[in-house]
Amino acid sequence: MSVFGESAHHDVAAYALGVLDLEDVQGFELHLAACAQCRVELEELRELPGLLDEVKSESHRTRQ
Amino acid sequence: MCLVRRQLDTRFERLDPDDEPDRDDRLIRELYEEFGGPLLRQVRQTTGNDLQWAEDVVQETLLRAWRNAPKLTWERGLLWAWLLTVSRRIVIDGRRRRGVRPREVEPPEADSIAVPDTADRTLASIVVAEALRGLSPDHREVIEQTYLRDRTVNEAAEILGIPPGTVKSRLYYALRALRAVLKERGVAN
Ligand SMILES: [Zn+2]
Repeated sequence: MSVFGESAHHDVAAYALGVLDLEDVQGFELHLAACAQCRVELEELRELPGLLDEVKSESHRTRQ
Repeated sequence: MCLVRRQLDTRFERLDPDDEPDRDDRLIRELYEEFGGPLLRQVRQTTGNDLQWAEDVVQETLLRAWRNAPKLTWERGLLWAWLLTVSRRIVIDGRRRRGVRPREVEPPEADSIAVPDTADRTLASIVVAEALRGLSPDHREVIEQTYLRDRTVNEAAEILGIPPGTVKSRLYYALRALRAVLKERGVAN
């Protein structure tokens, strides 16, 4: 992943949902520290996991 | 201003843990006070009714925040997003360690968007379900195959047979579209 390519910005969505693979997390956090645009977008996407939890089926939410 | 925020704002000031042990204690206590409760409520949604597990996850998350404190120079809202992300990762990794596999037997077309019983329905759940159904099939699919099924990008990419980069881009545009709709309907800010 390039730190400043277009694709690096796109990682913010996966990161906001907590579904970015571990090996990509550190790279994205480096990007985030340097990219004001992504920091704004992360703020904007902050509510979405909670809202999506509203429709997450019980079986997915509670399965162990 | 509380110590946590002040410290998180102090970009170049490095903490030497041996230097001021009291300050470390205070920092972790303040993290607990400010974020412990809300974080526990969020984490419990992903661990089901397993309160013990949720408490362990919160502890581990706040510990990581404390360890990363010199690096975390973001404002409060971002710190909250960081805590949510890290806690979700810990839950997903914990599930793996417990030997719980992502459900791969489910056909991809199975509807993972819950239709709650009438009594359980909240306005938000109705609006969100409707908004998801209004997205393009590609966009809806990546949200379902990642977040709603507790899968990472790479796992979803494998199941969908598309490159991880494509999953991430689609997810990006999908979330933007979803947020725009939810904002319009007044359930997102
Ligand atoms: Zn960026």
